[in-house]
Amino acid sequence: MQDENDATRAGLPLGQLIAMEQWQVPERSVQRTVKGAIRHLMVQLRQEIAPEGEPFQSLDGLPPLSRWQQQRIAPYPDYRAQAQTLLTSLQTLRTRGTLDREVALIVAPPFSGLRQSLCQLPTLAGEDGTQPWRLLQPPDELCISAERARRWWDEQDLSQPWVVAELADFWLRHPTGLALITELLRRIAADETGPGIVSCSSWCWQFWASYLPDAHLGPVTPAPLDAQRLGQWFSHLASPRGERPLVARMAEDGSYVLPSEDPVDAPHRKHAGFLRDLAIAARGNPGVALAIWQHALRARPEEDTETEEQATAAEGKHQECWVVRMDQLSLPTMLQTYDRTIGFVLHALLLHDGLDEAALEKVTGAGAAPLQLALARLARADIIRKGKRSHHWRVTPLGYPTVRRHLQSWGYPVDPFQGE
Amino acid sequence: MEGTFSGLNDLFSTVTSQAMLKAALLIAAATLLIFLIQKVVPSIANRLGGKPRLFLLASVPLLRLLIIVVTIIVVIPILIEPSFENMVAIFGTLGLALGFAFKDYANSLIAGIVTLYEMPYRPGDWIEVNGKYGEVRSIGTRAAEIVTPDDSVVLIPHSTLWSALIANGNDGSDNLMCVAQFHLQPGHDIRRVMALLRDVAFTSPYTKTTQPIVVVVAQQPWGMTYRLKAYPLEPRDQFQFISDLTARGMETLQEHALPLTPPAFLLAGPDQ
Repeated sequence: MQDENDATRAGLPLGQLIAMEQWQVPERSVQRTVKGAIRHLMVQLRQEIAPEGEPFQSLDGLPPLSRWQQQRIAPYPDYRAQAQTLLTSLQTLRTRGTLDREVALIVAPPFSGLRQSLCQLPTLAGEDGTQPWRLLQPPDELCISAERARRWWDEQDLSQPWVVAELADFWLRHPTGLALITELLRRIAADETGPGIVSCSSWCWQFWASYLPDAHLGPVTPAPLDAQRLGQWFSHLASPRGERPLVARMAEDGSYVLPSEDPVDAPHRKHAGFLRDLAIAARGNPGVALAIWQHALRARPEEDTETEEQATAAEGKHQECWVVRMDQLSLPTMLQTYDRTIGFVLHALLLHDGLDEAALEKVTGAGAAPLQLALARLARADIIRKGKRSHHWRVTPLGYPTVRRHLQSWGYPVDPFQGE
Repeated sequence: MEGTFSGLNDLFSTVTSQAMLKAALLIAAATLLIFLIQKVVPSIANRLGGKPRLFLLASVPLLRLLIIVVTIIVVIPILIEPSFENMVAIFGTLGLALGFAFKDYANSLIAGIVTLYEMPYRPGDWIEVNGKYGEVRSIGTRAAEIVTPDDSVVLIPHSTLWSALIANGNDGSDNLMCVAQFHLQPGHDIRRVMALLRDVAFTSPYTKTTQPIVVVVAQQPWGMTYRLKAYPLEPRDQFQFISDLTARGMETLQEHALPLTPPAFLLAGPDQ
């Protein structure tokens, strides 16, 4: 069965691809859109009236899930399985004629999990009798001349299957930082490479589609997750083999959140509209939806102390948890400020899918001190976070919806996934 | 004329002090409302960015006109009986008074109404009138106020609309083209410079990359003049944007050892 986004509902919802023109915002709701617009307006009007907010806190009295419970009930997905689904989906698109190039360009919003999935591709080597995929890493120096960029690509073996897990790692928004991607896209357009997969953040692609308006590379994109797919996905995450299905109920009235697989029980259950609200708030983005879902889950007080052994002993039962209403959730809110440095930093982080301080300084043109102040303020508001290993600053999945909305209202070009 | 004034005397002879008080209160309330709108709406608008700001700013003069019209419609029947003869007498007298005593003022008032209809400029627009450039801060009944880049307020009577050329940079939208100029001595690779300057514009954090970016070149007595045209994120960023383009452009041209034209050449020509 296919939906309005032309993605099949059978199988795992993550990793299914559609042509970019077919992407639509899932679960449109006038009421939700108007409420969102008014809330956004009110946030902006609070500028200089309310002092800057503290990091967000829980607004309800129920205990959040412990780390162990979260890993059990709402873990991060299996990226290897997603990589396999991606390959199958690409094959389907080729069969249908939607994709007719050797190199597949996948454009996805941040937090779609594409980078993590594509990094798993080399581990699938030989499983389906195909040649192993080679993961291409960017050079240490990104600001190089066109000649050096040509030489660097010449050194890479692009005749065998290759994959770029994130194109945004291969450039800096600086006059000298454009050569690597320009050269790669030229080679792809000229069919000078062997089979490959290039994943590109939607923000990065927005820039490159403007910079090279004639680059018609037929990008495909992951299908957005609507309420039904989110329900399937969350159920699958909690119980991949279906042995202890998750029963999630609204904390306020006990209505059910996830769809029931029991055909007898399902019609008698009163279902909440939480997943619909979640699909709208996350704009169908799986990473954002999962982050909000993890943030919305609550344990019963007696479950909070349940140990792993006790849970295992309760084999055969349902897993249970409670869910807080969307409007009770305290999500990160944008700083009450109109400062271009804040906008430059956030836009640069999305364009490059994360940057360290030195690169941010180069890209934004901001001095070290104002940049550090802006980063500290954004980090305190839980809008950005620094990676422990990479030392790259990135927008948080919970902060992404407000960042996108604010950048749009501040006049920044946003990613091509519009349609509000 | 005498008949008209005696008609007016008859007209207002029936006005009671109670009606006068009621009308005065209504006018005071309308004035207060207009005052509040003119203060509150722009301050709200300035906290927002992009299109919402422009829409809110543009709504101020329209709201004021609406309040004035509604007040007139409500107040006149309180004071006099709104018959055809009475209306002709009132507006005839007003027309005469305005025509003789306040000709220029009336001219600006009418032009002000035309301004609201034709919208040659709205609050938030960047306009140039008679050599004065700035952002339209407000549109009053008689004149528009613009704020220049040096933070001076210039009053432009609406009657200027009839005779002056008005250049509007963004015309109600948030797209305002900016131009940065670069002067180079002859004997260099022109296409390479055009490509470098295009990259400069695309990589400025102020640039709205969804709008066209164009580099044009013209031959001058001292060499070549390049004009880099692009759009800033918001019209109010225009001066920082041009500065950023100029700084980045000069850095890039110097890095590539391109022959910049010394300022003396630009002022006096190559023979000096």
